Amino acid sequence: MLSFSDIMDSGLNRRRFFAQSAAGLLGVRLLGALEEVATAAQGSSRGRQLILLTMRGAMSHIDTFDPKPNRETQGATKAIATKIPGVQFGETIPKLAGIADRLAVVRSLSTETGDHEQGTYLLRTGYKKLNSIQHPSMAAWTVFASGPISQTLPPNVLVGNGNEHPNAGFLDPKLLPVPVADPNRGLENIKSPAYLSEDNFKRRLLLARKMDAEFQNKYEGSEMEAYNELYRQAVKFMGSKDLAAFDIKTEPEATLTAYGAHRFGQGCLLARRLVQAGVRCVEVEFDGWDMHQNIFTDLPQRAGQLDQAFSQLILDLEKTGLLKSTLVVLQTEFGRTPTINQNTGRDHHPGAFSCLLAGAGVKTGQVYGKSDEDARTVAEDHVSIEDFNTTIAKALGIDTDKDHIAPNGRPFKIGGGGKPITKLLA
Amino acid sequence: MHFVRLPLIVALICLQAAPVLFGFQSKSNSKSTAKPAAKKSTPKPGTTNLEKVPLPDAILTLPKAPPFKVAQIDRTKRSEIEKAATAIDSIIAKDLTANNEKERPALKDDLFLRRVYLELGGRIPTYQEAKVFLDSQSGTKRSQLIDQLLESPDYVSHFYNYWADILRLTERPTGNIFLEPYLSYVKESIANNKPYDRWVHEMLTADGKVWDNPAAGFQIRDQGMPLPYVDNTVRVFLGKQIGCAQCHDHPFDDWTQKQFYQLAAFTAGTQTRFNRNIPEVKNGRGMNAGDIIKVARDKDPMSKLLGPLQQLVNANTFAVNFADRPLKLPHDYQYSDAKPNEVVEPKVLWDSVPATAAKANRREQFAAWVTSRSNRQFARNIANRLWKKMMGRGIVHPVDDFNDENKPSNPELLEHLTDEMLRLNFDLREFVRIIAYTKTYQRQAMVHESFDTKPFRFAGPVLKRMTAEQIWDSLVTLVAYNQWAFQRPTARDLAPMVDINWATVQLMDAEAAANRYSNSYFPSYYNQQLQKLCGFEGQLLVRASEIPTPLPLVHFLRQFGQSDREAIEAGRQVATVPQILTMFNGPITHIMLKKGSVIYDNVVLAGPRNAIDVMFISVLSRRPTPIAREIASDEIGSGKRTEVAYGNVIWALLNTREFLFIQ
Repeated sequence: MLSFSDIMDSGLNRRRFFAQSAAGLLGVRLLGALEEVATAAQGSSRGRQLILLTMRGAMSHIDTFDPKPNRETQGATKAIATKIPGVQFGETIPKLAGIADRLAVVRSLSTETGDHEQGTYLLRTGYKKLNSIQHPSMAAWTVFASGPISQTLPPNVLVGNGNEHPNAGFLDPKLLPVPVADPNRGLENIKSPAYLSEDNFKRRLLLARKMDAEFQNKYEGSEMEAYNELYRQAVKFMGSKDLAAFDIKTEPEATLTAYGAHRFGQGCLLARRLVQAGVRCVEVEFDGWDMHQNIFTDLPQRAGQLDQAFSQLILDLEKTGLLKSTLVVLQTEFGRTPTINQNTGRDHHPGAFSCLLAGAGVKTGQVYGKSDEDARTVAEDHVSIEDFNTTIAKALGIDTDKDHIAPNGRPFKIGGGGKPITKLLA
Repeated sequence: MHFVRLPLIVALICLQAAPVLFGFQSKSNSKSTAKPAAKKSTPKPGTTNLEKVPLPDAILTLPKAPPFKVAQIDRTKRSEIEKAATAIDSIIAKDLTANNEKERPALKDDLFLRRVYLELGGRIPTYQEAKVFLDSQSGTKRSQLIDQLLESPDYVSHFYNYWADILRLTERPTGNIFLEPYLSYVKESIANNKPYDRWVHEMLTADGKVWDNPAAGFQIRDQGMPLPYVDNTVRVFLGKQIGCAQCHDHPFDDWTQKQFYQLAAFTAGTQTRFNRNIPEVKNGRGMNAGDIIKVARDKDPMSKLLGPLQQLVNANTFAVNFADRPLKLPHDYQYSDAKPNEVVEPKVLWDSVPATAAKANRREQFAAWVTSRSNRQFARNIANRLWKKMMGRGIVHPVDDFNDENKPSNPELLEHLTDEMLRLNFDLREFVRIIAYTKTYQRQAMVHESFDTKPFRFAGPVLKRMTAEQIWDSLVTLVAYNQWAFQRPTARDLAPMVDINWATVQLMDAEAAANRYSNSYFPSYYNQQLQKLCGFEGQLLVRASEIPTPLPLVHFLRQFGQSDREAIEAGRQVATVPQILTMFNGPITHIMLKKGSVIYDNVVLAGPRNAIDVMFISVLSRRPTPIAREIASDEIGSGKRTEVAYGNVIWALLNTREFLFIQ
């Protein structure tokens, strides 16, 4: 009788290939990603987990976490009080205002780029986009440094669109995120069609491997290896009962309603389930913040969904005790212009914007940094994206000073070599 | 060759005894499955037994004629093209020799066949097409095939996908903007082989509503974003990234914020909203958009027509027009060469506006400068882009980042290709034809690691994973006799269903139009009709170029990396676990194991003796190696039912990396 691992295991070949190509080609040794991951995972405690909530398209800071009441640039969004004395949020996020004591708001971020693609890349990796190398995302670095928790679930899950994602960059393809296109549908096609017996499925896998041997030998390389690795993972997951974690429909109706019957709400609920089941890192994307037009009519709905889902996620993680070991980050690539344009919208604004931290490793109930009177530039305690990412890594207990050598021989630091903001760390 | 007709009657007789699904182990004997396919219902995706869902009728018959006309290739120019190809080869040979690198070996016929079908036609060849080529003894069969593909609808479909990724083509950027006519204009421009400079010039200068002048869609695509419009246009047609300079002087490149604004000043007066100040509208008796919607809502707030009516009325407010308007620097302009809020005079980034456009309006001046023959970067950019399309890597790479730090790997080659582009008067298809004729293109592919910093010298093309569209169209080829069950609508289709005349429109006219629209191109109705026509488990079995985009993330095409059509060239070929699960277990893989699919019919028709060849040629466009033949025949002789074994072999071939990659 064949086992799945007999069929798909050519892992040794792959590792040998990487070692050889890196050594032969560039005179350096590639990161021993696999070995390190394995060692890290042997620890008894599961360590810290990470949920990244990425607001794609650049969320307006003025209308959410950094309002400037009484200024002309504030537009139609009013400011409301929060649980932190003297701190106000935009009226679009009342629930988050009510749990502001569980949040740490950073209001003094700025970057140099107003381009979505470059901004998002920097945000996710801590490095500027280059032509010569793809940097790993913070999610991949986190799994790299802390290892997987569950052996039968993917360690890195992305709820959303993987196209522009730096993914695992130059790290081992084992760290690639598994994308979930629709959180309400979870991970699909995990079972063979009903007509196909398990035995016959195994026959098919074996046949495919034999038929492909010649081709794979001819074109060894990292792209091919990524596919081979993921074929092995796919086969492994197909046999796993733990995949039930991907099915949010088993949650009680009340929970589904509390998170919200919308994509982002479902994504946050899925993130909570996956973290609970032992996924190291979950990123949930929330599209549609690029409001060049009619921002005051479009924003309330989007911000309302954010308010509902994000606040529910924090409360739920708190209730289940997971918040103690899970870091939740709300991030966006840049802010939006204080000046309201002729289409009643706000344009790209990297000069000052806000991101948030909550949960494990974070000193919450505070605002760090300050923007100027119109939220146009940073007035106090400037935070770069590199600083922000380094702070995330520190909160997760990851070494941010160590150099990791990429296949091109260059050293990289987790977080991008920024300064951790100690005032934000618990 | 594309529309070779099968002896269908013979095929049908042979199929009588076969089961409905390869690999399906029915408990009853095979005869009971020979009855006609079950009546069509609308099954919920994923919940039904695949063997019971019938294939849609629309795909089951070979079409009698090509789906549309494509401009003919001039075969008398073959020797001229060959000469041009040789010139390219010798430039590369010189570079390789100078750097002690060796050319890759020449491609064998079968790999050549697969590559050109995929890279010129966007799909693998059918079994019959592959057989014709592999069996041909003609000494010029490669050139013949290249020429034939370049004048096929497959070429148009594939290059449409290529441009759709670059131009972010989507039918509805917002619910109220209808760009269908623009999308089919792009397709028709490719089919007619319109000279590229003229095509771009049309898009940069078009006025009016998109169904009156479809090229106007290029401008409307960036509606409300006049500055990103300039950034996108320069990036796509001139290969430079000046976007950073929108907010501040470019950190690494030479561009200043002032230069960005000077360039943007040319097009600042472009409006994308209908101009109601023209006399016939101003003095006409037509109602305006807001009033129509308000009156209709007051009349019957529950009317089902309200949704379509609002969309359609709003869609009619989009029309491009131009009037000179000054552009001011931002109020927080921080450099000493000008003051905040100062009006900037238009100025091009290099050279000058061609004399022929001196008296034209600013928008036309901008277009004239971009597309001018003397603006060499315009020709260089498209030459480099198409070289990358064919070879897998730009001479300047990435192709949209020409700057002083990002040097061409072979400057002589780049300038030569630029000269060729100019010599061909921007005939993109002839340019692609020359590349396809080169020995360089016809060499074995090589692995190129993205972190490898050595200049890439084109000893052969780069090994690529197929694009999402190539995978999809290849699977459609294995399933559908008719790959064109429907085609994207054109301006001629759309205009009568949606147009309203602002000079005369009354509520009645708008309601009549809304009625027509709700029963034609209103998305929920339209998509439902398409599903009825050729849907299988919720996916439309038709060429990717015809399917409305952006598709939902769960769609096969998105899973394999099709662009969301938001960012320029956002299509990716990155591996993910869900892709593999889809290939293992998804409905699309299993369609071709069904009776009535092209591959199923071909395998059954071939009979046991030839079945292995048919399966290999159908999926991988080559005959099996002796070892693979043995493995396959062991499987078939394994004591399982033959049809089960066929299913296993086809499934296995589809789940090889060889299937997903282009060697």
